[in-house]
Order: sequence, then C-alpha cells, then structure tokens
Amino acid sequence: MSSYVYMKVLESTPERYDRGIRLLSGGTIDALWAEIAAKVAKPGARILDIGCGTGGLSLACAERDAAVTGLDKDAGMLSVARKKAADTGFLHAPRWLEVGVMEMEDVLSPESCDAVVSCLAMSELLPEERAYTLRQAKLALVPGGVLMLADEAAPEGDSARLWWRLKRAPRVALTWLLTQQTTRPMQGLADEVRAAGFDGVQEARATEGDFIVVSATRAARP
Amino acid sequence: MSALGDGLGWLRDTLLRLLPHATRPGLRRIGSPGPTSPVLLTGNFTLTVRRVTEALAGRDVWLLVADSRGINVWCAAGGGHLTHHDVIAVVRSSGIAERVSHRRLVLPQLAATGVERRIVEERTGFEVRWGPARLEKLAAYLDAGGHTKRRWRRMYFPRWERLEIALMWAAPVAALSGAVLWAIEDLRVGLAGAAALAATIFGIFAGLRWLPASGGKRWLTYLGGSVLATGLGAALLALVAPLQGIPVGLLAVTNTAAMLVLSLDLAGTTPWYPSTMNTLGNRFDLALDIDRCTGAADCVLVCPRDVLAMTGKARKVSIAKPDACLRCGACVVQCPEDALHFRFSDGRVVPAETVRRTRMNMLGRRAVEVAAPSQNQAQSQHGGGGGH
Repeated sequence: MSSYVYMKVLESTPERYDRGIRLLSGGTIDALWAEIAAKVAKPGARILDIGCGTGGLSLACAERDAAVTGLDKDAGMLSVARKKAADTGFLHAPRWLEVGVMEMEDVLSPESCDAVVSCLAMSELLPEERAYTLRQAKLALVPGGVLMLADEAAPEGDSARLWWRLKRAPRVALTWLLTQQTTRPMQGLADEVRAAGFDGVQEARATEGDFIVVSATRAARP
Repeated sequence: MSALGDGLGWLRDTLLRLLPHATRPGLRRIGSPGPTSPVLLTGNFTLTVRRVTEALAGRDVWLLVADSRGINVWCAAGGGHLTHHDVIAVVRSSGIAERVSHRRLVLPQLAATGVERRIVEERTGFEVRWGPARLEKLAAYLDAGGHTKRRWRRMYFPRWERLEIALMWAAPVAALSGAVLWAIEDLRVGLAGAAALAATIFGIFAGLRWLPASGGKRWLTYLGGSVLATGLGAALLALVAPLQGIPVGLLAVTNTAAMLVLSLDLAGTTPWYPSTMNTLGNRFDLALDIDRCTGAADCVLVCPRDVLAMTGKARKVSIAKPDACLRCGACVVQCPEDALHFRFSDGRVVPAETVRRTRMNMLGRRAVEVAAPSQNQAQSQHGGGGGH
C-alpha cells in the first residue's frame, strides 16, 4: 500500500483502527513499529510515544520491557489502547495520558525520557504545534536521548512522485467522500527537527519508500 | 475577499453544508484589537468563521479559531471533534496570553458538550465564560460586558435557518435521487423526480412547526412526504407526456428511500438529537442525583433548552423542563460534582465520566458503550417523560 489516506476513516472508529491500518499497510505497519522499538526500547528505558493512538508503537516498545508513556488527545483511541494493554502482561504497564501535544508541558518532567517516538502523528499537526512539540520533546529527553519520528512521505523524484500521486488519488477521493478529510504527507520534517536544536539528525526511508523515519539525539551535556 | 470568491464560498458552504469545510486554525484580528480587547473562540468551519466575523464587524476583538475539523461548533463538540484539548492548543499556539492584559476567554455556549471548562482554565490560566447560544447575540453580549442572559442561552432555529438546512438536505438528496432515476429511466424522469423531491423537502422543513417531526407520529410526516413528492413528480411528468406506471413506481421507491434517509435525523440535523438511529429505539433521559448537587449551576449556564433551573430555597438544581431536553450532554459534562447522568429506559445508566469520554456520533456509540443496569440509583430524580 502506498499511502495512509484511510487513516481518517479509521480514526473515526477507534475500534476498527488497528484492523484497518494493518490492512492498508499490508502488514508493514507492524514491521515499522517493530523496527523503531528494536532501536529505542531497551529493558527499563523510559519511552514517550506522542500521538500514540491505539498504542501500536507503544505496545511494541512495552513488549521489549520498556516503560512507555503514550499520549493522545483522543479518548476513544486511548480506550482501545488500554484494552489491548490489559490483555497482555508487561513488565512495565504502559501509562496512557489523554492530552494534546500542546499540553505536553503540563504532564512531562524535564529529562524524564530516554527516548521519544511518534508514528503518523507529526503530519497531523500545524507547523507551530510541531515546533512546540519538538521543543517539549527535547526538554523531556535526557542528554543523549533519542528522538525517532515516522511519518508518511511522498517518494523522491518527480516521476516517482507523480506515479505515487496517481495511485493515491482514488483512495484520497474515496476517503474524502467518506470523511471529508485527508492526510498530509510530510515534507521537511528533518529540517524542523534540526531547527529545534537536535543533533545527529538522520532521515531514512522504510517500507518501500512510503515512510520516512527521522532520528536525532539530544546533545549530551558538555 | 473578492465577490466571486465570496459567492463560491457561499455556494460551497450552503449547498454542501453537510460536509465539513475547514479554514486554518489560529488567531484572527477583527478590527484593531488591543491588550484589553475581548478574546472569543470559535471552530474552524468556514461558514462559522465568516458569520462570526460578520457579527462582530465594527468591533475590536481577538478571535481564536480552534481546530474543529471544519465542522460547526455544536456538531464538532457533540462528536468529539472540538474538545478542551483543541481549545488549549489554540490558546497556547496563538500566543494570545502575550497579546492581552486580561485573562478572560469567551467560548461558544454550544461547545459545552465537548469542552470541559475547568480543564481549559487550569491549563491556560484563562477564565472561561460561555457566550450566547446564537452568534447574532454576540454583539449584544459584548455590549452587556460579557454577561449572558437567560434568553440568550436558548438555542433555536429561525425560519431562514430551517430553510438553509432544507437546502443542505435537498441539494444532495434530490441530486442523488435524480441521478438514479436518470440512470434507470431517462433524464425527464430524473429532473421531475429531483425537482419534486427538493420542493417536498423544502415544504417539510417550512412546515416543521406544525408537522409531527419526532415521536411516534413522525412516520406520518415521512409517509406524507413520500406520497407528496411522488404525486408532484407524476404531475410534472404528466405535463410533458402521458403517465406510465413504471416511472411513477420508480419515483415512489426513490422518494421513500429519500424520506427514510431524512427520517434518521430530520428534526434536529444534529448527530446527537434523540433520533431512532442514535438510541436504537431505547430512549434515554437526563437524571439528577440530588444529593450530589451543590448548586454550582454550571449546568444551568450551558443548557441550550432551559431544561435546568435553580430551586429557590434548596439552592440546588432541578430538571424543570425534561421534555425540552436534547440529550446533548453539556450539563453532564460541565457538572463539577458528577450529579447528572443519562439513564436508559431499560435502567442502564451512562455516568458522567462516560459521557465525557464517549462522544455521540451518528452510530450512537454512547448508546452501545454502556454498563449493565446499576442498583444504586434509587435516589435519582428522573428527568424525561417517556420510556420509564
């Protein structure tokens, strides 16, 4: 699958979100969650998942014995996450917070996270909200802590992008008809992370080029 | 904005009003606001922002446009698309606190079903005041120094707005019905069917004051609408050619289907109106746990139908006009003591916490996600007439 425009349909029905997103991604979303979790989720590591939704990425990290805090402003999505977590025994039970990203300063202590992760959430934010979120993420990270953001991205190269847009068009149209909304593939996320003062910013593509994963670190104290 | 852009915007907002139309959230200036100018908030439905701006023309006001997913304030708040999280987000991202010297924020009263006032106050430092239910009263509300009056809290739909809603339904329903008739029969039948159905829908909305639109007799309205639209369509067809049975039969089928669609939420055109679709036939009513009530009166201030009133001596709230209740849940959401809740006719209770966390949508999730009947509601005072 080349895009996640159906996200909006899924978001309107949290109970069906997981089944839908798996179907749409042809199973690659699980691989992406596992890939990110493998990089950041060490036993006991304190991980913050921004815009955790139904907790796919959070639970992938919790399975590796990390202590996860998932935050999302949608109570319905969080209730699904809670149910899923309750079905599984974790060393550290995930903590779920119903807050929007602009409330991060209310719930996070400085230098309280070893890693901050987020999947398919940055593209949902306004630029000024993203800038705030990245600032808060940096404050919440310990020196040397890792930031890892995954989002949908258009492929590089004009012809590839055109083909991708054409393939995506029918699904964009159908999703808009059903929900009158659409997703916005990210551009320039790595630059925004750099502008927020993170070090070692890297951008990589995952799962057939449909995702970008931006990783960075908070500079260790001199 | 140019006249052409305005006209196109009007067409989009009126004919396609069933669909969300989003404008960018953020801070807008009306006039030349300064540090003491009032701060108002609305959702990012294009039509709403335009009308609020018009209603405040000639004044100096800060307008915060929150992300309500391009949906009007009442529907967005009822459907979980405009919550305190969205209000806090725009207050913080706009930097309004640095632009004004006061800390008062006026929210639309109809946002109260989704926005928890206390959480906004805690997190932003702004004192929240509920503005009037209808934006036509905004100017008078500001002139009164930001104090609302009982009659301004009442939500009503004037006739011109009912006709706008009729247009909102008539345009897509008649177009779809006409297209189906055209595809099966021919263009003439399609046009006649669409015109007759549109006229009937207008007639029903215009006559809502007199027609039974809710309760058991509402089916008479839908049946009458179907018969009227079919008769009108047949009459139009008869003007150009001798009548045949098959096109008239088709008209009857498409008109009945259209009326069934309208019947889902005809009376309110809001996702939470107590229609059969929302409650699946299992009626629920507002109930008050009088022992918990401390007379804070938050519920009275947000009720758009004047259902709740303070009782004089006891300094507590009573459900004074249960039959006027829309079940929007605003009072339940705002009560600081969780003294209000919903109760189904079969005894199941929807506690305040569930009302706050589970938004009503077209599929009636609030109706589905409810625990088994509770035994400890003996002291509840029940509102609502039917079902018990």
